[in-house]
Amino acid sequence: MTSTELVKESSADRAIRFERDALVFTNQLYAAALRYTKNPHDAKDLVQDTYLKAFASFHQFEPGTNLKAWLYRVLTTTFINTYRKNQRRPQISGGDIEDWQLANAASHSSNLGKSAEVEALENLPDSDIKRALNEIPEEFRIAVYLADVEGFSYKEIAEIVGVPAGTVMSRLHRGRKQLRERLTEYAKDLGYTVKTPKEIKTGEANQEHTP
Amino acid sequence: MSQFEQVPCNQILNSFVLLLEGDTDVPMLASIDIHLSECPNCTAELAHEKMMHSLLQEVLRRTCCEVAPVELHDLIFEQIHTQAAGAFTTEITTEFTMTEISIEIDEFGTIEHREITIEHTEEIRYQNGAPEKGIN
Repeated sequence: MTSTELVKESSADRAIRFERDALVFTNQLYAAALRYTKNPHDAKDLVQDTYLKAFASFHQFEPGTNLKAWLYRVLTTTFINTYRKNQRRPQISGGDIEDWQLANAASHSSNLGKSAEVEALENLPDSDIKRALNEIPEEFRIAVYLADVEGFSYKEIAEIVGVPAGTVMSRLHRGRKQLRERLTEYAKDLGYTVKTPKEIKTGEANQEHTP
Repeated sequence: MSQFEQVPCNQILNSFVLLLEGDTDVPMLASIDIHLSECPNCTAELAHEKMMHSLLQEVLRRTCCEVAPVELHDLIFEQIHTQAAGAFTTEITTEFTMTEISIEIDEFGTIEHREITIEHTEEIRYQNGAPEKGIN
């Protein structure tokens, strides 16, 4: 579609195009909004606001470019501008987190630590995964969500969130690390992690933990 | 001195975040490869990181897949159409009213009383603020 045709497009036609192309992401955006806002009521409002804003500027969207990424940008910007403003929560200073290279492990992790991490991920119920996500800082949570659930590249995330790519890298790295640490902690508290491999009979051990 | 000695392990470990993101534009990619081929510890660490990364992704994707409530789908659909149709909510407000009263008494003692009221009204159209419908 050329830009001249776009100009001629009636608002009714635009609504049909929007419905067809954009509304298919409602469930996905809602799941993301739940992670952003942490509650269903605000998540509903956020998705609604996002679609209204997106439709109002849909004529500016260039067909053929990534509509999903564009919608996530509207969602994320709306969240940051509206919902976070209300919370008056101190946020992590954005600019100077370029230290992902320094923040990393300085040495190799132990085999025991490795197996504990794996077991935590394999055994913990969904509710614990969500709890861990809720507990890590918002900037980290958004970056990890966009990368690991939605599959955006870190360069796309930089566009969506409006921060430099290096900052996204830092947030991804630290977010995943904190998530794994928390999950390993939960698993330890629940007694899911077993000290020696002999004590685990893989299949049976897993079955015991399923409700 | 081999390449392995030139690049310390912690530097290799720190480059994993880029490797996991599939970034081919990693500085010293060649040195990293050489180091990995000579260092079993780093190789094991990278294998673990890759495994944890895909496991974490799998768990997150399984967990974060809530479906939006039906009324949200309906509400969005309805609002898009309202906006597209240009259906406005109109509100008439009275900006100000002015009443001019004049009383004239002529030479015969006849009293003439006149009142003129001027009213200025403003029509406000709301495009997006369609009447709130509860979605509870």
